[in-house]
Order: sequence, then structure tokens, then C-alpha cells
Amino acid sequence: MKRALRALLVCALALSRQLPARAQALPSEPVSIADGHVTISGDVSAAFGGADTGFFNYTDYEHSALRVFRVDLTTAVKLNDHVSMLGEVRTENVGPLQAYAFYLRVRPWARRAFDIQAGRVPPTFGAFTRRIYASENPLIGYPLAYQYLTSLRADALPINANELLGMRGRGWLSSYSIGNPVPAAGLPLASGFRWDTGVQVHAGAGLVDATVAVTTGTLSNPLFRDDNSGRQVAARLSARPIAGLVLGTSAARGPFVTATAARGAVGAGRDGEFTQTALGADAEYSRDYYLIRAETVFSEWRIPAVGAPVIDAPLRALASYVEGRYKIRPGLYAAARLDHLGFSELTGTSVRTTWDAPVTRLEVGGGYSILRNVLVKVSGQHNTREGGRVTHLNVMAAQIVYWF
Amino acid sequence: MTPRPRPFVVAAAFAILAVTALPAVPALPASPAPPGLPALSSQGLRDTGTIRGRVDVRRPSTPPERRPNVADLGAHVAQSDVSDRLTSVVYFDAAPRTAAAPVPGHAVLDQRDERFVPHVLAVTTGTVVDFPNSDRIYHNVFSLSKTRPFDLGRYAAGRSKAIKFDRPGIVRVFCDIHSHMNAFILVFNHSFFALTDAEGRYRIDNVPPGSYSLVAWNEGVSSGPQPVVVSEGGEAELDFALR
Repeated sequence: MKRALRALLVCALALSRQLPARAQALPSEPVSIADGHVTISGDVSAAFGGADTGFFNYTDYEHSALRVFRVDLTTAVKLNDHVSMLGEVRTENVGPLQAYAFYLRVRPWARRAFDIQAGRVPPTFGAFTRRIYASENPLIGYPLAYQYLTSLRADALPINANELLGMRGRGWLSSYSIGNPVPAAGLPLASGFRWDTGVQVHAGAGLVDATVAVTTGTLSNPLFRDDNSGRQVAARLSARPIAGLVLGTSAARGPFVTATAARGAVGAGRDGEFTQTALGADAEYSRDYYLIRAETVFSEWRIPAVGAPVIDAPLRALASYVEGRYKIRPGLYAAARLDHLGFSELTGTSVRTTWDAPVTRLEVGGGYSILRNVLVKVSGQHNTREGGRVTHLNVMAAQIVYWF
Repeated sequence: MTPRPRPFVVAAAFAILAVTALPAVPALPASPAPPGLPALSSQGLRDTGTIRGRVDVRRPSTPPERRPNVADLGAHVAQSDVSDRLTSVVYFDAAPRTAAAPVPGHAVLDQRDERFVPHVLAVTTGTVVDFPNSDRIYHNVFSLSKTRPFDLGRYAAGRSKAIKFDRPGIVRVFCDIHSHMNAFILVFNHSFFALTDAEGRYRIDNVPPGSYSLVAWNEGVSSGPQPVVVSEGGEAELDFALR
């Protein structure tokens, strides 16, 4: 930990040295070096929240979105007008640095909005994935669709409906009979914290943007190396019909169960059948001092039917949120988000109920900019879940964000 | 297993980072002329002099870079023009004691091609500045400066909003939507200032004879006050170098 802290401070000092003597301070704008060919930006945030005993805000087994110190450093290397490299390294809670994004961006025609990106590319699906940094999220928590851990796993499968129902509300640490026997965190509908690997094509024309990608993982389980025989295809279309209004729709489909788990359930060669299919719609409207966003993500997972009572239908989930922000005075805003995550029903031996416990979250808070690039946020969350050990949780959190 | 928050350690580290991030923004003189400075006589402008010179900006100017957001699905058109960042302002540290009160004016800070035009604006107190949006997209002009905090909200092309600047000082202006957009408004309680041209030259006319201190400013960097003597009807020359 000391080594990581030292690395962080050395990094900050190195960036500060790029500044002229006028400001003995950290940068307030992206650092541009090598005659503008290299641009470095950063986003540092520290959130301090109450104990989340119900694991409502966990992004994996050890990290809660309400208790995390995160440092992101992003670098863009512009080789020429057509080719650039983009990468981002991240550390959470002063842990080891991890490469979060690393891809090559090729623009064949310098003046046309047509890009080909290859590597660990940004998510194609959804609108929130464009606002993953703390400085762009008006609240501290994340939308359920992109953060909440369902009980489903890609590397472990329930042998029957009863086993899956037994994990309701335990997505933070679920375990099943088939595949990997080690308890581990489940999957969100769409991961906002890991990126997929593949090729992405983006084109923009006037008021419309379109993106298509082929990647190794799936929406809920992005991967660096593929672990089954299929690829995911994802697409997004967005439009700006009038100033301030953005409408978007997304779709993704790909095999999500690992080849090992599928083989354990139904034998070799069938892992391509067990897919995640997702559809999304989003809208954003802003004017004067207010901003309103809404987004819906529907996901359907197909998993092998093994033992009785069988899981004979796809497992479905629907997450929707609406959030708003209002600027009260310069630097000060209030914000709120209402979020719900529901699941389809499944029949067990003695009960018919949703395959995971539905969750509703209301988060209300606000932020104050001490400087343009130093923001302090506070928020309060009310979470309810129709199952699991903890069914209600009220929690407060504060966050400080610095970016350049 | 329970989570491993280390709030105190990370809070201390982050607090250090946040505090060192506080930029030092030089303040402009807010007071009227100190005693001892020469006064404008009633002889009119015949006896006044001129100060001219050049400001040499000797540090590299970089174009306003976008934050390289890796989550962007596509690239943005690069901006490489740095000429507007070479504009400097030369101003009197304190105005002549009996200099006439500045006449409030009207100025425009346009939003065009995701830039503020001009990048540097120098006005007198009482001036109203219009902020038209000449782009097809939304902008949101704001400032958190102590001199004049304001937030104009989001407004579309063809619309304009205005702010009156009543206090002297430096106002850093930003767009809440496009973080690479920024501008400076320098507000003076006198009219003894000038912006440099493309070659870095400046000229301040109608200066009453006397001894003064001048300051050169560029992108938040100020020179120390430099003495200059203006004789009756004469022309004084003063050059600056900013690093």
C-alpha cells in the first residue's frame, strides 16, 4: 500500500512538473506534452459511506461504490491525424494498477466522423457507460443496471430452479453445483466497471450516431480473453433531434456461459447456445438549469436446463431509472435518482417467485464545486430488496472528486 | 469476509492532493489610486503621454485540449490554434488618482466552434458582457470566481445571456458541458490597460505624466510590477518577458 501511495504521489508530482511555475499546484486542464501528441487526464475520487450490510452498492465482492478511493489516469497518444492510441489505468483503494482501457483508434478520413477502434474498447451499449467517471455522475451511487450484482454467474450454473432460487438476494457471493465451485460475485445486467475486447466501428452523420462492435465477452461479463466459442455483437444508435435532447437505443447478444461450465452442464460443444441478449433505450433532456435522464435495460440470459425442477425459460431482468439534476446557484446542484430492478418468475418445487430479489433504490443528494475541477458530493440512499438477509438499507455517503 | 475500507488513510492522501490542487489566481488591483500618484489636470489630453512596448511570452502555449475520455465512441476534431492564448494584457497596477471613473461599456464573449471568442477580454467595471451561443449545440457558461460567480444555464444556438461585472478582478469562464472551453475576463476599475496584438505589442494612450507601475498578464501568469515614467506629451517604452 505504501508503494502504491508513493507511486500516486510521484505521478502527481510528475504531472505538476509539466506546469509553468505560475501554478505550484496540480493541473486543472489535461496535460499536453510532446507538442500536443500526448495528452494525459485524470480523475481522482474518494467516497466515504456508511456500512452497506446488504451489499446493495458492491461492484464486486470487495468494492463498494460508496467506499472507494479511485484514481484514473487516461492517456491519448496521437500518432497522426488518422491514428491514435488511448489507454487508461486505474487503481481502487490503493490496490494494484489495472489497465481498464487500451485501444487503437483509426480514422481513415480525417474530416469524416468514422472511426475504427480495436483493443479493450469502450462499451457500445447504453448511455451511462459514457458517464462512468465520478465527475460525470451527479450522485455517488451507480444505476442498478450497471452495478447491482445479480445471483447469476458465467462460470458456475445452478443444477435446477431450486438452487437458483436459493441464491435470491445473494449476488454479492453466490455459488452453484456446476462449474466453478468457489463462491464469487454474480453479474450485473451490464458491467460499468470492466470493458470488453474486440473491434468497434463508429460513424456519425449530422444528428445521428451509430456504433457496432464485435467483442469476446458479453454485456454482463466483459472479457480480455474469450472463455467460450462465441462472440458478442452489440450496436447502438443515438440521435439529437433538437438541442438538448438525446435519444438512444442499444442491443447486444452473445454467449455468456463459459465453455467449462456449459460442458459440465450439458456436454461439450453447446456453450454457444447460452446467450445473453440485451436491449436498451435511453433519453436525456437538458435546458437552463435542469437535466433529466432516463434509461431502461432489458436482459435475457439462457442457461442450461439440467435437473428438475428445470429452469425451462430464459431468465429475464428489467432495470429502469430516471435521474435529474438542478443547479441551484453557481457551483451548487441538487440531484436525485429513482431506480428499479425486476426479474422474471421461476417455478421451484414449492414456490413460484422471481429468480432474483427485485431491488428499488432512491438516491437523493447534491454537489458543490469548490473549484471547477474539485467537487464535493453528498447523498443519501434508501434501498429495498424483496429477499435476501438485508431487505432495507438507508445509507449516507460523501465523495470528493478532482479531475483534470 | 468484510470490505476493507481505509477511509482515514485515503482521506488524508486525497486531502493533500485536493489542497495542492488549489490554483493561485492573481488578483487585480481593486483599490483606487494610492496617494502620491499624479492627478489628471484640467488641461485635457494634450499633455498626456503614451506607454508602449511588447510582451514576450517565452513559455510554450498549448492548444485547449479535450480531456481524452476513453469512453467516447468516436474521435473529436482536434483544435490546434494557440494564437488566442498568446494574447496578453498590460495594465496599471494602480490608476492615476484623479483619473475619471471608467465608462461602463458593452462587450461580447461569443461561443463558437466550442471555443470562447475572444479567449481574453479586458473590460472596465460596470461593463455588461453578452454571451451569445453561435454553435448548433448547447453550451453552459459559468464562473466560480470570487469576483463574479455566475451560471447562465444551458441555452441553444441563437440565444444570448448577459452578465454585468461590477467588481475588479479576474473572472475565469468555463463551459459546464465542454471542459476544454475556457476564457478570461479581466475587470479593471480604471481604463489604463491594453491587450497585445498578434506580435505581442501593446499601447496605452492618454497617460498623465508621472511614475507608474505596470503589470503584464498572460494566461494566469503575471509579471512583477515594472516602473515606468511618462513625461508630458512623451512616449515611454516598456517591454515584458513572461515565462
